[in-house]
Amino acid sequence: MAPWRFGSDPLWSEFDRLRRGMDDLFTALTGTRPFAAPRFGALPASLWAQGRLFPLLNVRQAGDVYVVTAELPGLKSEDLEINVEGDTLSLKGERKPLELSEGTSYHRRERASGKFHRSITLPNKVAADDVKATYKDGVLTIRLPIEKAVLPKHIAISAE
Amino acid sequence: MPEQELKIPEKKEIAPPAGEFTREGSYYTPAVDIYETPQELVMLVDMPGVRSDDVEIDLNNSVISIVGKVPVFSDDSRELLTEYCTGNYFRSFRITEVVDQSRISASMSDGVLKLTLPKLEKAVPRKIAIQSA
Repeated sequence: MAPWRFGSDPLWSEFDRLRRGMDDLFTALTGTRPFAAPRFGALPASLWAQGRLFPLLNVRQAGDVYVVTAELPGLKSEDLEINVEGDTLSLKGERKPLELSEGTSYHRRERASGKFHRSITLPNKVAADDVKATYKDGVLTIRLPIEKAVLPKHIAISAE
Repeated sequence: MPEQELKIPEKKEIAPPAGEFTREGSYYTPAVDIYETPQELVMLVDMPGVRSDDVEIDLNNSVISIVGKVPVFSDDSRELLTEYCTGNYFRSFRITEVVDQSRISASMSDGVLKLTLPKLEKAVPRKIAIQSA
């Protein structure tokens, strides 16, 4: 019986090529090689992260209210601008750089400063008048109640 | 020059260094600014979601460790979009400058911890007059 030469068969080399292509795509999207052991703290910036805008948002739905949270440490509430229109929430703001007096020098500078502007479309229209925003401990929380008109209505059947 | 736009901060999860944390949960590396003035060393640590009571600062053998605990949030709400993860913060530094360890002060505001490490008297630059012999 002839030994099975793995890799020399045209079928296998085509399969290898496809696999490498998929691996490269996976790497580009996630920043890690597929099936590679996770390396803590050393993940390169992935396409996933590059494709997103500051600030990162988490959205939850608690009953009839959307709760949007964002981590924005070191901001003043007057540096934040929140707008709601229909089903779109937009956040705008600026994180101001530190103003250091003369004679100071940086040892490390990791905290970024600059402007940001991000909009997000919610699954439903929200009641813009009842939107409440709080900023506490560097976390912005916006509570947006869904507009009454789009909520499902319970219809009682009346007996004739 | 175009306006500088804020980039996504990468939240790096850390492997527990030399000894695991007793408390379960993930730990992240907070972004830190450190600057030096003639009198002191100032550290600014971004720890969003950490209340001032939940910060632990420990100084041991000129290694300062900062732990920020983020309360675990849970209710019956449904997650629609999750772009960032929450977890505790940990970072430690070896202080190489001569710092007066008894006068270190810390304050927390808007999710930013400010640590002030005053320099020792003798380390503050002083003009020394040279006497002619």
